[in-house]
Amino acid sequence: MRRYLSVAVGPALFVVGAVVVALLPRFMGEFRLLEFTFVAIYVIALLGLNILTGYSGQISLGHGALVGVGAYVAALLSLGRPGLELYQLDPPSWIPLGDGMRPVFTIPIAALVTGVIGFLIGIPALRLGGVSLALATLALAVSFPILMKRFSEVTGGGGGLNLNLPETPFGWDISTRHWLYYEAWVTAGILFLAAWLLVRGRIGRAWRAIRDGEVAATSSGVNPALYKTFAFGVSSAYAGAAGALFAIETAYVNPDTFPVSLSILLLASAVIGGLGSLAGALFGALLFEFLPIYSQEPPIFSFHFAEQAPSVVFGVFLIVIMLLLPGGVAGLFRALAGAVRTGRFRRRSDTSELA
Amino acid sequence: MKRVLLVTLVLGAALTVALPGAFARTEATQATPGITSNTIKIGGTFPYSGPVSSYSPIPEGMKTYFRFINARKGPDGKRGIYGRKIDFKTYDDAYNPANTVQLTNKLVLEDKVFAVVGTLGTEDNLAIRPFLNQRKVPQVLVSTGASYWGTQYKQFPWTSGWQTDYIAEGRMYARWILANAARQKIAIFYQNDDYGKDYLNGIKQGLRSKTNLIVSELSYEVTDTSYASQIARQKATGADTWILVTTAGTPTVRALATAKRLGWKPDQIIINSVAATDGVMAAAVASVGQDFVNGAVSTGYLKNNTNPKYAKDPAIRSYRRIMSKYAPAGGVNIRNSFYYYGVAKAYDFVKLMYKAGKNPTRASLMAATAKMNWVNPYTLAGVKIKTSKTDRFPIDQGKIVRYNNGSWSEISALYKGR
Repeated sequence: MRRYLSVAVGPALFVVGAVVVALLPRFMGEFRLLEFTFVAIYVIALLGLNILTGYSGQISLGHGALVGVGAYVAALLSLGRPGLELYQLDPPSWIPLGDGMRPVFTIPIAALVTGVIGFLIGIPALRLGGVSLALATLALAVSFPILMKRFSEVTGGGGGLNLNLPETPFGWDISTRHWLYYEAWVTAGILFLAAWLLVRGRIGRAWRAIRDGEVAATSSGVNPALYKTFAFGVSSAYAGAAGALFAIETAYVNPDTFPVSLSILLLASAVIGGLGSLAGALFGALLFEFLPIYSQEPPIFSFHFAEQAPSVVFGVFLIVIMLLLPGGVAGLFRALAGAVRTGRFRRRSDTSELA
Repeated sequence: MKRVLLVTLVLGAALTVALPGAFARTEATQATPGITSNTIKIGGTFPYSGPVSSYSPIPEGMKTYFRFINARKGPDGKRGIYGRKIDFKTYDDAYNPANTVQLTNKLVLEDKVFAVVGTLGTEDNLAIRPFLNQRKVPQVLVSTGASYWGTQYKQFPWTSGWQTDYIAEGRMYARWILANAARQKIAIFYQNDDYGKDYLNGIKQGLRSKTNLIVSELSYEVTDTSYASQIARQKATGADTWILVTTAGTPTVRALATAKRLGWKPDQIIINSVAATDGVMAAAVASVGQDFVNGAVSTGYLKNNTNPKYAKDPAIRSYRRIMSKYAPAGGVNIRNSFYYYGVAKAYDFVKLMYKAGKNPTRASLMAATAKMNWVNPYTLAGVKIKTSKTDRFPIDQGKIVRYNNGSWSEISALYKGR
């Protein structure tokens, strides 16, 4: 019986989570809805990062750049050539831009494009490991805003691109904010399930084997090159999907929207949330979204923190987690769940002693 | 187990700080958001952290002036504006437009501000402009000199600027050059984006038929790490007037250092006002020496609060009094001209609110931005804050100022940029 229970816990939590997400808008004002939409976007990004760093063991300090790629692809596709003409932009004709696409369709395309780019990045990354890979991906993050400014004939340069303000499609009768919220969370849910399937299957086992010991994995018949580049590709596809949703939600992209600090904070959130655990992406996303806003002004106490507080608070969190609980928040919950189970065992053995 | 408990405690404490009341209900909407019988709530986002955090004294200057207004008795005997105190809510967007969008949403939807005032950054304001116009929330006195705010008022009627814009400034440089020696050979080194091109257009418009005086106009990308090839070419043209349209910080200092290294000292260096701040000038002096930088010219529309000429000026004295009495705790360096800029801007906001009437609405505030007509004592003598139905540039004048040993002196008459 207990074995069935422990297997059912995961899916049960997912269903409960889905119900909570579906019902939450009833209790929230418009701004809170916006914030939770961003949480969904960050969940997607962090799922991708978790797959790369937590499951296949490759450190990436360039995830923010890949989110940016997805955002720009979505922006360019949803504006189309007619939209770009208003900016006096005329990208070269070999780039397949149409006449402007419904934003929701740009999400899979952005994911695909970013996934391919990520896969291609994964190939040279095979030769690097550890610190070298971290530095190489950091170079990606640093160069992304610069590249976007350099190719301003396509990207609109520093001034950026305003997307059309979002609208509920197909004439459906729900408010735009609600539509965006559900669009983001449904995408996050689908991608969460996909990640779960990947991770618990053969591919996930191969990733973990490679992460824990590449030589041992190879001698067990796992081809590290294939799985590692695949991890890069999948992780980047997630980043691209997150980026596309980000562009749709913010309705503005520009190089400064994706600075180096985005990549660094994403990794920090992934670590604090818990690497090697998909649920960690949810905790990390909540932190990433709410901490910067509310550490400037905590809603409970009404005194005013300095506006620069967020970075300090983030840093303190990271240090505390790294020192005390390397498994992150997800690891904490796992430990608590384990402690509860162990507690039950201990009580059992106590009574047996009395008897 | 103890570790786990400790971390749980820490995280629990953190959650009470970081996680908002997720089930808070929305309050009933007021007739005019942000206006009650005794408060006016406004908001804005500024780069308190990040690469351009040197601008962070601006909102503090504004808040200090508002504290003064809230404490003093106005012309009708009431404190604040018609008895309403100003509550200015600011957030840090670190100059990242994505943050600006979220935080401005927070200001409008959650904090329910009456208007967004003084938000800093061209791209940051571009990012929120469609949203604010869609919701009919005033976006006024923005802290950027892009010409869009004044030229695109028909498409975006809820957005309005303040300071002299870059095109107007370019025209002023052109006019000064023509007046001082029509034979000058001009070289322009500009950043290859909207900001740089605004200035370039302004300069050419100001030169009118004499654009042939420009012997070289070369650009650089923000990403370039060396300007040697462009500046070497400009030196080779024998230009004697060099206009730098470079952003504040590294680009300006690098351009000057490159010129010095190549052995080129143009007779006249012109540095655009965005870059001609105390901090950048000091860095330039540190890099190329006082002699190289002395004599450089820029424009200004505000009185220079560190210029000894204005030591006894009533506006500067009032600035010093207000800062010393109402400044944020911890003390401020009142010589930093960004505080002064904030005070000058806040003065105009207060004036706008008076013009918006005893029962201000968002529409009445925007109507007031099209009927500005007064003198701001913090600006140079002769500058008029003036707008009309067709002229949406509140400040479009300036004087040429020359830098010498740490301070700026006015060397021209007051020019009209538009």
